[in-house]
Amino acid sequence: MIAGKKLLLAEDDNLLASLLRYRLEKGGYEVSLSKDGKEVKEYLAEEIPDIIVSDIMMPYFSGMELIDFVRNELGSKTPIIIISSAGNEENVLTAFELGANDFISKPVSPSELMVRVNRELNNAKI
Amino acid sequence: MNPKNLLCSLENMESMLNSFSFEELSTAEASHLKRSFQAFKNDLEQKVFGEPGSVAVKVKKESTNGNSKGNLGPSPNMLIAKVSHEIRTPLNGIVGFTDLLKEDGLTSKQLEKVNAIQSASYSLLEIINELLEYSKLSTGLEDFDTIDFNFQNVIKEVTYLCKTLITDKKVTLETEIDPDIPGILVGDPSKLSQILLNLLGNAIKFVEKGSIRLRIAVKQKVKHQIRLEFAIADTGIGIPESKLPNIFNAFEQATDSTFLKYGGSGLGLSIVKQLIENLGGDISVSSTLGVGTTFKFDIPYGLGNGKKAGQAQEPKIKKEKVRQSIKGMRILVFEDNLLNQRLIEERLKSWGCTTFITENARYGLDILEKTGLDAILMDLRMPEMDGFEVTRQIRQNKDATIREIPIIALTADFSLGDKNKCKEYGINDCILKPYNPDELMFTLLKNRGKNMELTEALKKTVVNRNQHSKRLDLAPILKDCMGDVDLLQELIQLYKQNALEFIGSAKTHIRYGDFEELGLAAHKIKAGLAMMQSHELHAIIVQIQEACKTQGDVKKLQSLYSCFVDEYSKTELNIDQAFLEIKRKGK
Repeated sequence: MIAGKKLLLAEDDNLLASLLRYRLEKGGYEVSLSKDGKEVKEYLAEEIPDIIVSDIMMPYFSGMELIDFVRNELGSKTPIIIISSAGNEENVLTAFELGANDFISKPVSPSELMVRVNRELNNAKI
Repeated sequence: MNPKNLLCSLENMESMLNSFSFEELSTAEASHLKRSFQAFKNDLEQKVFGEPGSVAVKVKKESTNGNSKGNLGPSPNMLIAKVSHEIRTPLNGIVGFTDLLKEDGLTSKQLEKVNAIQSASYSLLEIINELLEYSKLSTGLEDFDTIDFNFQNVIKEVTYLCKTLITDKKVTLETEIDPDIPGILVGDPSKLSQILLNLLGNAIKFVEKGSIRLRIAVKQKVKHQIRLEFAIADTGIGIPESKLPNIFNAFEQATDSTFLKYGGSGLGLSIVKQLIENLGGDISVSSTLGVGTTFKFDIPYGLGNGKKAGQAQEPKIKKEKVRQSIKGMRILVFEDNLLNQRLIEERLKSWGCTTFITENARYGLDILEKTGLDAILMDLRMPEMDGFEVTRQIRQNKDATIREIPIIALTADFSLGDKNKCKEYGINDCILKPYNPDELMFTLLKNRGKNMELTEALKKTVVNRNQHSKRLDLAPILKDCMGDVDLLQELIQLYKQNALEFIGSAKTHIRYGDFEELGLAAHKIKAGLAMMQSHELHAIIVQIQEACKTQGDVKKLQSLYSCFVDEYSKTELNIDQAFLEIKRKGK
């Protein structure tokens, strides 16, 4: 079921991004990586993925702006998982209010992210 | 490519080269490579700055050597900085004295003439400021505020100013502001008015008849952030399509005759573009010849705490209060220019301050010993002993009340090092000449009774550097990699690349006092350091971020930076060892 599901990974840290991308691709996802808000927007103009995993802090376009853009501009319910830095609880609340589905704190465990991504997609189906 | 970016990539290359593995090249080959790179770098720096390293030295050299260098000549930015000093000093006198003259109760005819002098001086000042601004922006030295401000008031002021520019034309200026925009926003109001004044000013210049519309709408609103879209549409002469792509380039005007007819430095739009981009926005233009031009840009702002917008007269009341609270201050002024001496004396007297003025450093220090003072205004360029040296001597005085007197620098000298140099020497604030009286007033108030914070170099060690680095454990991360050694190797490669990139760019950012960029660079590398179990490096980065937030103590940052570099070389070794071990185990 997961095989070939499209996942947008928005993360400006190349190290974390490579690690997550590897794990997610191993898990069967088709991962597109965007390093900043500009790339995110370009991608979303083309298509809406099955699920989005995004860092909160990104150049040009924050994770918050991304959630708002997806929910309100695109009117899409595609699941969004936010990657937050430690000690940013307030941001997480805001992200949820804006329509994020789940969050994961840095340092991110790839396996944990994998579980969360799978769960969101299962939820979305129901 | 601007000199800063160039330098940045140079530093990058250099740090990569320094870490070059000798195993892959013979020692002779490697050192030859390093030497020729060094030569290339020096050569390039010389072309960019005229002299490797110090900028101050370079200015001096230019003035003695003239244009003797046959290559690229002096960098325009440095030339601007130098020339602007020469122009600002006398302008300071002209603008200041006409201000004072107007307070003397003139007849309406006299007032008319004084106003004419003033408006001419201001337009000269404006050109100088544009040139300065441009060179600041292109060297990355511009500061941006993040303060609460009344959005409606900024727009009101701007449109009011623009309406005064329209006078005898058949032109209307209409504004349309989205009522959803909150009263208080967080950001940089002065940059916003600068952008709007520039674009509206252009529109007014090029519209003979018709309308100029400023429309402001909410483009996007997200909890604590709002992105506003501004559109300025005019029914002016329009811009030929072929010129549109270059419109934001420096010194570019639609036609050569544009300059003759409308004047201007040709820098306005490129300044506007750089400002908007630095604020996190974007600008675009569309135009049809003979029909009109529309500029559109967006800027993100923070949302204030929801307070209702205050009224426009507020600043006036505040000003009166400020005036009351600086009354009676005892101020010592170091100033060598006679015109400026008289100007500042008149100004401070009119505020009820007691002033002591001298161009002689020794005499000034003598006054300081004998009289209780509240603040010192310091001209940085003086004969015999310059302002920095005088400050140094004051900061070393045995008596704490003298040692901690607030010192405010007044200078017409815009040069790259000055701002940081001021901080290093213990100067509390710096005002660029010509200044407006309010600026001086507020700065005096700000520094009244403020105790000098002793900015000593970092004393406590950042991390316990004596402690031998523990053996690094890559096992958890290998687990994250699902045991894939190739992926781990790739990550280690990225990790090293990131660290070296940081080491290279941080050096440049510290040199230019660009704390914002340094903070961003630190943020970028942070997560990766934690991931690779580099806890010491992570701790240093956290401290660098803190120091950047408080607009930094350069010495502290330099010290943190060298800690980072030291620690990194150890960590790199540890990681390589740990990786080799994993590889061995795998076999």
